[in-house]
Amino acid sequence: MNRGAAVFVTAALVAVCSVPAAAYLKLGTKVGTRTVTLKWSQMPIRYFITDRGTTGVTSAQLQQTVQSAFSTWEAVPTTQISSQFVGTTLANASSGDGLTVIGFQNRPDLERTLGATSFLIDTTSGAIVESDIFFNTAFPWSVAAQGETGMFDLQSIALHEIGHLHGLAHSAMGETELRAGGRRVIAAESVMFPIAFSAGTILGRTLKTDDIAGIGDIYPNSTYTRSTGSISGKITKSGKGVLGAHIVAFDMRTQKLVGGFSLSDDGSFVIAGLDPGPHVLRVEPLDDGDIESFFDATLNIDVDFRAQFYDKIVVVPKAGGTSGVELKVVAK
Amino acid sequence: MIRGATIIRVLRVGCCAVAAGGILPARAAAQIYLGHDVPHRGSMEISGGAIGSGGSDSGPASAEETRNTGTGTGPFVLFSASSRADASAGLQGKLGVYLAKSFSVEGGVLLGRPRLSTQLSGDAESAPDLTATETLTRLIVDGSVLFHLTGASFGGGNGVPFVSGGAGYLRDAHEKNELIETGHEFHVGGGLHYWFGQGKHRLGMRADAGMSWRSGGADSGETYRAVPTAAGSIAYLF
Repeated sequence: MNRGAAVFVTAALVAVCSVPAAAYLKLGTKVGTRTVTLKWSQMPIRYFITDRGTTGVTSAQLQQTVQSAFSTWEAVPTTQISSQFVGTTLANASSGDGLTVIGFQNRPDLERTLGATSFLIDTTSGAIVESDIFFNTAFPWSVAAQGETGMFDLQSIALHEIGHLHGLAHSAMGETELRAGGRRVIAAESVMFPIAFSAGTILGRTLKTDDIAGIGDIYPNSTYTRSTGSISGKITKSGKGVLGAHIVAFDMRTQKLVGGFSLSDDGSFVIAGLDPGPHVLRVEPLDDGDIESFFDATLNIDVDFRAQFYDKIVVVPKAGGTSGVELKVVAK
Repeated sequence: MIRGATIIRVLRVGCCAVAAGGILPARAAAQIYLGHDVPHRGSMEISGGAIGSGGSDSGPASAEETRNTGTGTGPFVLFSASSRADASAGLQGKLGVYLAKSFSVEGGVLLGRPRLSTQLSGDAESAPDLTATETLTRLIVDGSVLFHLTGASFGGGNGVPFVSGGAGYLRDAHEKNELIETGHEFHVGGGLHYWFGQGKHRLGMRADAGMSWRSGGADSGETYRAVPTAAGSIAYLF
C-alpha cells in the first residue's frame, strides 16, 4: 500500500447480492425472478457499538461519531429514517449474529479498505435484518473537529458506511487519477463515492445532493413524493442499450448534480429525487473507479464510449417524471 | 404653440357641426362627438398583432465537485453552462377603455414560443461542446395605463403618440407541459396610434416599443431581467 498516494477504497460487502435494483444505484437482491431494493423494513435501526477503541479514538468517541453520522442522514428533509443506539457490545462487527454492530477491526489484509458494510437479509423480501460496519484499524483514525494531518476522519467514513447500511450503493459522482499505488480522488460530489478523500480532511462530513437524492429514493417521505421528480430514458450505442453508463443531471438553477446509472441491457435509466425545473444531462463511461466498486463483476459494463451531453433541456416536473429521453453515445 | 393648434382644431369642428345641423339634425347632433373628439371618455379600443421580445441571459453556471486536498485550488469544474432565452416573436391582443381623451387603461394577452438554450462547454472529460435547447409556451396577461399625448398629435390629429406602463403575470409551460412556472413583469414604453378616417368607429395602426422587466418563469429565476419589446398591431376604436 502506498500511503503517499492517499488512495483508499471504502467498500460495501454485500453478503447476498450486489445487483443494483433501479433508479439511483441502490443495493439490491434477487427475490425469485425480481430484483428488489435492499432496505430496512422497520425503523428505528437499532445498532450496537463495539466496546473497543483504537489508537486516538475511544469507544465512547466512536459511539458519538457514529451517532452523529446517523443524525446527518436522518436530517435529510425528504426521507424518513431513524436509528437508536442500543448499547455497547463485545461482539465483533461481523454478520450472522442478528445484531447490527459497528466497530473497529484490525484487517491488515484489506490494505485499501478503510471500512466495510455487510448485510444479513431476508431473502424472501429483500428486507435488511442486520448490517455490520467495521473500520479498519490498519489505518490511523481521528475524530478531531477539524481533522488531523495524516489521519482519516472517522465521521466522514462513518457517514459513507452508514449510507451503505441504509441500502445505498456507490455513487460515481467523482473524478480520479491513477497514481502509483492506486487511484487518487481529484474531486467528488457525493459521500457515497467509493474512494475517500485524502487523510487529514473533513470534506466527507457533508452530504451532497446526490446522496440526498439517493436516500430519499429508498426511504421517501411525503415531501420527497410531493416536491421532487425524475428523468428516465435510455442510453444507446449503435442502436443497442448501454449497461452501466453514468448519467448526470445538472440543475442549471441550483447547480446541483445528481447521478444515476443505466441498469439494464436496454440501457434504461432513472434519476430520481430531482428538484423541478430544467436540467441538462451528461453521460460518461464508468471510468473513475474499479467497475467492481459499482457493479457485480459478472455484468458486462460498457465503458467504450465518449462522454457527451444530451441536446435537449430536460424539464423535471414536480411529483412526476419525464420519460422518453434517449441519449445516443458513440464508441471511443 | 401646441395649445394654440389644438384650439384651432376644436373651433373648426364646432363650425362643421353647426353647418351640418340645418340639413341632418340627428346626425349633426351625433357628430358633436365625432371627428377629432374621438376617442373620448368611454371609447374602447381593441387591437391585435405581432410582438417581438429580445433575448435575455440567465448567466453562467458551473457543474462543480468538491476538490480533494492537494489536487489544486477551487472547486473542480466538471463542465460549464450558459443559458439564455433567445429573442422570439409572438402574438398579442389588447382591449382598452378610455377614461378621458388622453388617458386609457387596457388589458392584454401575449402568447409566445421563446426558445431556451444552454451552451455546454469545458467538459472535464472532453465531451463535445453542445447547445441544449427547449421551446416554451409563454403567456403574459398584463394591465397598462396609457397617456395619449394629444398635444403632440400629427396628421390632422390622426397620429397620436402615447406613453405606457404596467405590470403583468407571466406563465411559462415547458415542453409537453411537464412543468408550469409563473412569474411577473413590469413594463414601460411608448408608441403611436395612427387612426384612419374621422368616424366614431375607426380602424388604425398601433406601434409599441418598450422594456419589460421579468422575474420568475422558466428563464429568469428570481432576479429581474430586462427584455426589450416591440410590437405592431391593427387597432379598432369604437
